Amino acid sequence: MNRREFIGRTAGAVGGALLIGDSGEVWPKAKAPSDQINLGIVGVGSRGQQLMRTFLRVPGVRFAGLCDVYEPRFAAGRSITKENTPIYRDYQQLLAARDLDAVIVSTPLSLHSQHMVAVLESGRHLYGEKCLGLTVEDCYRIVDAVKRSGKHFQVGLQYHYAPWFSETLRHIQAGKIGRVTEIYAYWHRNNSWKRPVPAGADQKLERLINWRLYKEYSGGLVAELGSHHINFANEVFGSAPESVLGSGGIDFWKDGRETNDNVRVIYRYPQGTTLVFSAITTNQIDGAQVRVYGTNGTAVLTEADATLYYEPKRPQSAVSEGTVLEHGITTSASFRAELPYRGPGEPVPIPEDRKGNADFVACNSFIESLRKNQRPEADEQTALADGLAVALGNQAIDQGKRILFSEHMRSKGA
Amino acid sequence: MQSDSERFMNKMREQSAGAGETKAAELFVHSGHAMGTLFTIYLYAHEQELAEVAFEAAFQEIERIEEALSNYRASSELSRINRLAARQEVTTDPEVFSLIVASLEFSRRSGGAFDATVGPLMRAWGFFNGEGRYPTEGELHHARENVGWEKVQLDVAARTVHFSAAGIELDLGAIGKGYAVDRVVQVLREAGAAAALVDAGSSTIYAMDPPPGKNGWTVRIPNPADRSQMVTTVTLQNVSLSTSGTTEKFFELEGRRYSHVMDPRRGRPVHGVLQTTLVAADATTSDALSNAIFVMGPEAGKKLLATVPDSWGLWILGEPGAQRLVEWNWQHTAGDATSEQYVAAPQKERLNEGT
Repeated sequence: MNRREFIGRTAGAVGGALLIGDSGEVWPKAKAPSDQINLGIVGVGSRGQQLMRTFLRVPGVRFAGLCDVYEPRFAAGRSITKENTPIYRDYQQLLAARDLDAVIVSTPLSLHSQHMVAVLESGRHLYGEKCLGLTVEDCYRIVDAVKRSGKHFQVGLQYHYAPWFSETLRHIQAGKIGRVTEIYAYWHRNNSWKRPVPAGADQKLERLINWRLYKEYSGGLVAELGSHHINFANEVFGSAPESVLGSGGIDFWKDGRETNDNVRVIYRYPQGTTLVFSAITTNQIDGAQVRVYGTNGTAVLTEADATLYYEPKRPQSAVSEGTVLEHGITTSASFRAELPYRGPGEPVPIPEDRKGNADFVACNSFIESLRKNQRPEADEQTALADGLAVALGNQAIDQGKRILFSEHMRSKGA
Repeated sequence: MQSDSERFMNKMREQSAGAGETKAAELFVHSGHAMGTLFTIYLYAHEQELAEVAFEAAFQEIERIEEALSNYRASSELSRINRLAARQEVTTDPEVFSLIVASLEFSRRSGGAFDATVGPLMRAWGFFNGEGRYPTEGELHHARENVGWEKVQLDVAARTVHFSAAGIELDLGAIGKGYAVDRVVQVLREAGAAAALVDAGSSTIYAMDPPPGKNGWTVRIPNPADRSQMVTTVTLQNVSLSTSGTTEKFFELEGRRYSHVMDPRRGRPVHGVLQTTLVAADATTSDALSNAIFVMGPEAGKKLLATVPDSWGLWILGEPGAQRLVEWNWQHTAGDATSEQYVAAPQKERLNEGT
């Protein structure tokens, strides 16, 4: 069928109701090429749906199974695939399907270890949403399963693949902003972080839809937002942190939620460097940004771009003592106001062939890893360093004390 | 003793059980800039918290669509297609693909009056930087080589897009805002909101269920020559309305005034049409076709609208100060005084060509 014939056939569909969302014969099934990748997904919520859309932009990818425990998600998933994609209410049934090459797990955080281990034990490659696991034990359980299975694992830390993040990292590693001593990262928004719940929904459904707000499922703001920034700090500093302090509380949105509505965690890294991450839900002037402070400049990364700023030039030579004696020293109360820099910066250029969306680059990279049988870049070790930092950051907040990573991490080789 | 969470859920249950009879629904409004325009949602709810949650979900959806369709963001899916599709077949997801299909379908049905590839012509005529200028023959020739919906080739089975000319670029702005409005309507309904109006820059709106005690949302169509005056007022529910026109932006050429709306078929701006308004079942259709019928004019436009179920349209033709009004199936609100006022103005002639 050529395009003209196709358009002729769809004429009725477009004129009235949207073509989008129509099901039926308009969308012939794609021919299965020899390198077609069949994906399954466990967890078709908002993030799962975005991953589905993005994976479907990669040539030769098809969804062969959707799994969820909330019935309306099946219609939402099928409206994305525009096919009658098989649905499963039990993840074990999905994994029993024969035609899956890889599985996406985008379920609430506390379910990751159960779902991800099962996927790996079924012999499928795994794209696992961040964070790795809710607890330290969960994280290691998944890493062990990856090792045992020999399958590829990529963690859904999409900013790891964002072209402007990787280009900025290259500039930082080349010394463009000098020696990096601190990273301050903000994820500041001004909303309740609540998702709409259908009228008449019971409490169980409300907890399921708003799982991010309940400790039974979620690591809260540190996990859902901070994990992206922690991962970038790990990349910049070249290691995982060694300790963390934290504070937080439920101080504004007193609506029955259990995860904090404001948090800040301070991670210390082995080289004497620091990451401060702050998330609040009552003011959005700072938005989501990472500020990487170096001795010669600053890199500021947002969800869309990155900018470099340079420090004022330092004095090149000291004034001799004799000059000071000759002219005398005035000891009046004069001082220089240390105003924040308000000028322009230098956008980090992205080469034309590297421009792209973080989600797309991440999903495309995972499919390429499968086709070329290569280890993904954001693999289980990347995920582990990030996941442990999230889990221990939350412990630091809950316990109100400094947590040493060495007391919770397995020694190398264990 | 109830926990906070239980109290919240009880509130929701009360509302769904009709507690609104004791507490009247209030109108909440929220606006935000997106897709190059100002989106505003008017929503009746019994609790501010429920309205805020619905607004948040709605604006998240608009942001998601902008991230897919923006021509200004290098990270958007449409930008990726525009970067690559002249060199290779680009696979895209079913949602973006179906919008491109819908766009080409509107092009086919309008005989090319609607064309999402019109960008190079807009640039050649200087419309992107505001003022307008007459392009040279060479510029016009070059632009026309890089415009044409037929040069966008789709493979439905593989879901790929390919451009047969190197300079082709898709701009889904004239359909994407309408699509975003339709998606927001769906999100609001899923969030339990029923009485609401979604407005994208006052050029495309969708009126959902009417405000409490009313039979629809009152929408006034301004006179393009004097926006303080109204041409007509309509009462809408569960339909979309779009208006096209660039009354603030005119381009004088050889004594004639041209709009900033391009006729892609002729490679020059439209002359003699001031404004079009179209009501249709969904906003994707009203957005795209209000533009198409502006370019087509009333004669051809009415033939197109005859193929669109439940549509009604209005053209304002001529020059500011000497307008003519042409209707198709237009449904006046009873006691529509502003419409009569407009029609009664001495120098204006009304051609009621409705069926």
